[in-house]
Amino acid sequence: MSEGGWRRLSIRVVYMDLIRAVVSCAVGYLGAVVLNDDGPVWALVAGSVAGFLGALTDLIRWLTTRYRVTPASVEMRSGWASKRHRTVARDRIRTVDSAAKLVPRLFRLRVVHIGSGEQGSSFALNALDSGEAARLRRELMPAVRDAPAPAADARDERPDADETPDADAGTETADAGGQGQSADAGRRGGEPRDGGEREVLARLRWQWVPLNMVTVWGPVVVVGPLFALYWFLRPFGVDLLGVGRDVIGWDSRGLLWNLVLCGAIAYPLGVIGSAGAFVVENWGFELAREGDVLVSRRGLLTTRTLQRDDRRMRGLAVKEPLLWRWLGLAETSVVTTGLRQTVDAPSGAILPRLRLGEAREIAARVLPGGSRPLEAELQPHPRGALVRRLGWAVYGPGLAAGVLLMFTFSGALPGWVWPLSLVLLPVTLPLAVVAYRSLAHALDGPYLVVRRGALSRNTVALQRGAVIGWSLRQSLPQRWGDRMTVGIATAAGERYYQVPDAGTGQALAFIRGATPELAAQFLEEPDREAGGWNGGSTGDEDAQSRAADRGRARAG
Amino acid sequence: MVWRTLQALFWGVGVLGVLGAVFLWVEGARGWLGPVLVILGVVYAVNVVVMPGWRYRVHRWETTGDAVYALEGWLTKKWQIVPLSRIQSIDTEIGPLQQMLGIATIKVTTASSEGKISIEGLDVRVARDTVDRLREATAATPGDAT
Repeated sequence: MSEGGWRRLSIRVVYMDLIRAVVSCAVGYLGAVVLNDDGPVWALVAGSVAGFLGALTDLIRWLTTRYRVTPASVEMRSGWASKRHRTVARDRIRTVDSAAKLVPRLFRLRVVHIGSGEQGSSFALNALDSGEAARLRRELMPAVRDAPAPAADARDERPDADETPDADAGTETADAGGQGQSADAGRRGGEPRDGGEREVLARLRWQWVPLNMVTVWGPVVVVGPLFALYWFLRPFGVDLLGVGRDVIGWDSRGLLWNLVLCGAIAYPLGVIGSAGAFVVENWGFELAREGDVLVSRRGLLTTRTLQRDDRRMRGLAVKEPLLWRWLGLAETSVVTTGLRQTVDAPSGAILPRLRLGEAREIAARVLPGGSRPLEAELQPHPRGALVRRLGWAVYGPGLAAGVLLMFTFSGALPGWVWPLSLVLLPVTLPLAVVAYRSLAHALDGPYLVVRRGALSRNTVALQRGAVIGWSLRQSLPQRWGDRMTVGIATAAGERYYQVPDAGTGQALAFIRGATPELAAQFLEEPDREAGGWNGGSTGDEDAQSRAADRGRARAG
Repeated sequence: MVWRTLQALFWGVGVLGVLGAVFLWVEGARGWLGPVLVILGVVYAVNVVVMPGWRYRVHRWETTGDAVYALEGWLTKKWQIVPLSRIQSIDTEIGPLQQMLGIATIKVTTASSEGKISIEGLDVRVARDTVDRLREATAATPGDAT
């Protein structure tokens, strides 16, 4: 158990597994021999076999798993047929959690999760003695007191803990109970920072309500509760469907007219319903800046207060689904690290649907430093991207038709089915054009701006410092057309943003502009590299000439 | 390369075998499965014959003082760059087939699931040296809290 040595999991895991195996065998024996008749016995036997195998694999895991904590890193080895060795540097570790289910707890075992900035936990040590677990935790997190600190404190102590997927970027408080905001004002979640002047960026305006009630899914808002009501009333002998039929006189018209009539009734109701939902949800909406924290509050029945720290803010995103875009509307959200994607705050949205101009005005004040990357002039992508999208639009339905045709030949489908997919063409072709026109990117001061999307046009402005890696992709058609897709890996927001089908020159200039130091190592002089990276064969020679200190994958 | 060929072969035989068995025994499904079998057969044949060599020819990787770089793929090429300061964990994985051939896969993980680099099919010794080097370099490079 020395500092440099490898440690094992707790020996009690073995005891537990042995007991589990014995119990499984006993159950299996009981099922197979004692109750030897036909009946639900096979399920019992299958369960016991599964339990036995589970215990066995757990034993193997205990036998093969080793971990060690060195001054620089934490390492774990595991696996027998398939070996795995994992290393995490000590300063990347953000959390050490321990948890236990009922049975392991009887054995005083704890599962320890060591988390770094990754999305899941980096290590799961299953399981350690409870004493050993506590020791490991003290060892890895000397700064953190044993008593769990309140969230706000913990955030201040460890300013770099923003990667932790478990930690919310903002402190959220939800006061349920319908007291409204007056009662809530006194006990807002999270203490407001001292010394920050409060600047209100936006408040709910009644003009916003009509903007937020137009929705394609309006009828759904009505139909859902109606269906619930129907099923609820049925046991009581009330046939709501029948009543509805009588009221609108279903049988006196054709199906089409009935549908039109239903739509005509349901749609206004849906609009009213979504307007109501919007008002309830955004009652007393207020977005304010207090020092370096962005505070948003909203809600009538449940008041939600969400605080977002500037240090975790990596940019802004604007989402414009097709229908809204025609109406000039947009939804704004922030790109932050460590924000859990929950139902309450699905995408870090900070503003309801607004007119684009208004949204931009507020967005400019949301960003620290007052830059306006969302209004930057964007570079369109090469023509080839349009051709490629039109190609997809044609060959998608074409391919579907081909597949269906094959099934027709093999006799599985009747002959009239296959041309059906071609009906999609008039939809896909305009969509391809829309998709191409929304493709764009730009560098604006400290921000990268990326725009894409057909059905929903998304614009993202991301800080340069938030880029944690690049991945460039080039498929065969892209290689012929001298284009590439740039992937931006980041810890914030959706964690991955793409610039599809940029010209090769554009893409490399983009990377070079965003991360000059990193690009300097891997991209060579612009002219040479642009030539070197687009063609397959020249690319190989180019890379080979630089391959002096470069490893080459030796497969077999 | 041998590894990839074997892997592709196993996958191909497995999938085609299952579908073929269904084709033989289940009369009703023949109309549906026939075309699928033909196309999959062609795809797997290409996969076994062409893909491994091509990938081997393309595959390149490099580690420098402050970044890891990899190029992989065949029909679609993929370049990846990750600075050491953003590396969260380093994995070595050796599957059963890989163990037989004495090769390993290194995976370098960052905070973004897409920012992950995996370098497949390295000689075990090279892999170990690389991981050691990366570990030292990563520990020496302070992580920035992205």
